[in-house]
Amino acid sequence: MSHLGNTHSSLNVTSLRDLARKELTKVLDSVRGKKCLVLDPNISGPLSLIAEFSLLKEHGVEKMHYLQSGPLETELKSLIYICRPQLHYMKYIAEHIGHHQKDNLSSSEYEYNLFFVPRRTMICERVLEEAGVFGEITIGEYHLDLIPFEDDLLSLELDNTFKELYLDGDYTSIYYAARALMKLQTKFGLFPRVIGKGDCAKHLADMLLRMRKEVAVDDPSSTLSVSQNIDSLIILDRSVDLITPLCTQLTYEGLIDEVFGIRTSHVEVDSTIVGPTSQKPVSATTTTPNTASTTTQPSPPARKKKIALNSSDKLFVQLRDMNFAVVGGVLNRIARRINEDYEERHQAKTVVQIREFINKLGGLQSEHQSLRTHTGIAEEIMAYTVTPEFNKALEVQQNLAAGIDINLQNDHIEEMINRQVPILQVLRLLCLLSLVNGGLKQKSFEFFKKEILQTYGFEHLQTLLNLERLNMFIKQGSASNKFNYVRKHLQLIVDEVDEQNPQDISYVYSGYAPLSVRLIQCVTKGGPTPIGYPVGANAAANSIAGGGARGIVGWKGHEDALKMLPGKTFDEVQRHDDGAIRSKKLIQGQQPRVTLIFFLGGCTYTEISAIRFMAQQDEGQREYVIATTQIINGNSLLNSVMQKIDHLGHSAGGNS
Amino acid sequence: ITILESYEQKDLNERINKLKIALKWYQDDKEHAFEAKAIDENIRLLQTQAQFEKEMNQQLVGLPLNETVHKCITTNHPNKASKLKSDFKIPDKRFWWIKLKALVEMRDWDELDRL
Repeated sequence: MSHLGNTHSSLNVTSLRDLARKELTKVLDSVRGKKCLVLDPNISGPLSLIAEFSLLKEHGVEKMHYLQSGPLETELKSLIYICRPQLHYMKYIAEHIGHHQKDNLSSSEYEYNLFFVPRRTMICERVLEEAGVFGEITIGEYHLDLIPFEDDLLSLELDNTFKELYLDGDYTSIYYAARALMKLQTKFGLFPRVIGKGDCAKHLADMLLRMRKEVAVDDPSSTLSVSQNIDSLIILDRSVDLITPLCTQLTYEGLIDEVFGIRTSHVEVDSTIVGPTSQKPVSATTTTPNTASTTTQPSPPARKKKIALNSSDKLFVQLRDMNFAVVGGVLNRIARRINEDYEERHQAKTVVQIREFINKLGGLQSEHQSLRTHTGIAEEIMAYTVTPEFNKALEVQQNLAAGIDINLQNDHIEEMINRQVPILQVLRLLCLLSLVNGGLKQKSFEFFKKEILQTYGFEHLQTLLNLERLNMFIKQGSASNKFNYVRKHLQLIVDEVDEQNPQDISYVYSGYAPLSVRLIQCVTKGGPTPIGYPVGANAAANSIAGGGARGIVGWKGHEDALKMLPGKTFDEVQRHDDGAIRSKKLIQGQQPRVTLIFFLGGCTYTEISAIRFMAQQDEGQREYVIATTQIINGNSLLNSVMQKIDHLGHSAGGNS
Repeated sequence: ITILESYEQKDLNERINKLKIALKWYQDDKEHAFEAKAIDENIRLLQTQAQFEKEMNQQLVGLPLNETVHKCITTNHPNKASKLKSDFKIPDKRFWWIKLKALVEMRDWDELDRL
């Protein structure tokens, strides 16, 4: 995991990984002797980013299994379960124990240890109690929360937060998020300013402030001092900007996610992709999030190849945030350069020159390899992006986002339903249509609902109800079109986009600037850069008025637009009891400011790209570190709220 | 929730009964007129499918309406398809799409020509 080593960020994110590692070894060492590790399939991916297999082995792990239903066969007597506190896992565990008890009457031979990630919950313990196995198990917690993916990207890897927060009203993930942020505060100091938008974000901020007070009460000596390099925390609620994830991502990394699906910064592609075959790429993205990732298995299954996507791949670093339109050209250029480098060997005459070349060869070859991989992937994506369906959908999206010919788009969507394109595609567009218009007209609303039910099956009635509850697909209210105003005010649509040489974050969607990132721009700079207020003047004014956070403008000047978006807006200043003045002094230092951005309910790869682009524009004045509950795209977003009854056709049909 | 339960029911009659309960729920609530209508339609669909199944010797129950129409055409029951069209008020546009697809699948170029 050397990619985390080069900390060009002033926030030392690697230390978070070390912390998680240390705790993992502690967990493993708490059980003596050889042991068998039973993992929640959803955790194995993130865990592999924390520790490699050899580390587990060093600490006595002999075997690893996924936590599944059915008996668990193992000759090892010590078992360690690591899983999320989810009820069905408890049932599996009880099942395992039950089996062991049946097999050899004295179950005391086995030793069960269960570690919840990140916290134990009462309800899980209750399930174990009811199954009569609670007494057999030693229960602990493994506080794995924010997992560093890159220097500037942390994720909680909680898969279903969006659905839990906004559909089920289950706020557990807010609690987890608050604990994780608290941990950051203990490590890096107090965030001087907490700014955010959205009801759930507000909850998170409140919880964070409360936790800090609790810490202060518990142990007055350990008051946190104001952070020296983090100047603010911006919390954004996914419900504030649902439009962005619904659009098709057009950056390289974003498209990889749309086409293949990225899980814990790994992508699984056909191993034949180096010599590409035409495979239906759409099916790859629609697989349910629960399909076990095979990260920890030493040998991947024959056909699928796992590719790590992170900054240890130099080529990928160059490509990931680019608009896909330029990727082809860049690949071509690099291929030519590598070729030239290879050619150098002919010019090498002296022994020294030859040795020099040999030294370079290793790097050259790995570069070559990664070039081959990415060319393969890019070709596959290309094949997908030239299909008429893709382009039609994209055209509709862009017209909707820009507010052009709304009525015409209705017909396009209707045609897509008639062609029976995958329901996710259709729902993405319909939700977008509803979001940008503040709902659909009664007549077309019911028309589309009927079309969907009749085309894709009546079970989607529940899906539609869910979307309605989320305000993603609704009937038009009396209110005027809010998004129009927001779009104009925040310049979400930029007509002239130079994908080769982007000037504005809108390049990630070829014209549409992600609303969420625009909001962040408002906070840090006072508006979109091209016409924004003179940054310097604003910053100066603010360093006097604000709580010492230089350059953070806050929501000022954008209150009207914010009112049009759902959820509460807040802006809190956190002060050390006597530290307000002192912290200001510290801030005069040379170090760039770090702004931490927390996406509650997930963020997309394009948003990450856009934020990275912003950081580049700032020329080292400000760095952004992104933290999120999970990484999403439009498909995974909708998938989580969709009603799934997959066995429907068979089981019902076979019965009469 | 009863809708979900209904899908777990393997037996067709049980399923229809559950749906009827759900239907009652929604009918009591004015805001959910659409849902009530949809469920009612679903019940009718299931009943029609069961009836057709007997006549055509094809598995139909549980399929979406479109697929049902599709099946009717591919198995040479155009009358049944038209009946579904009028019963469930399928818009012309969509009906022709289904028909087109089905006929192409059957390579029934003569029939296609006649369209």
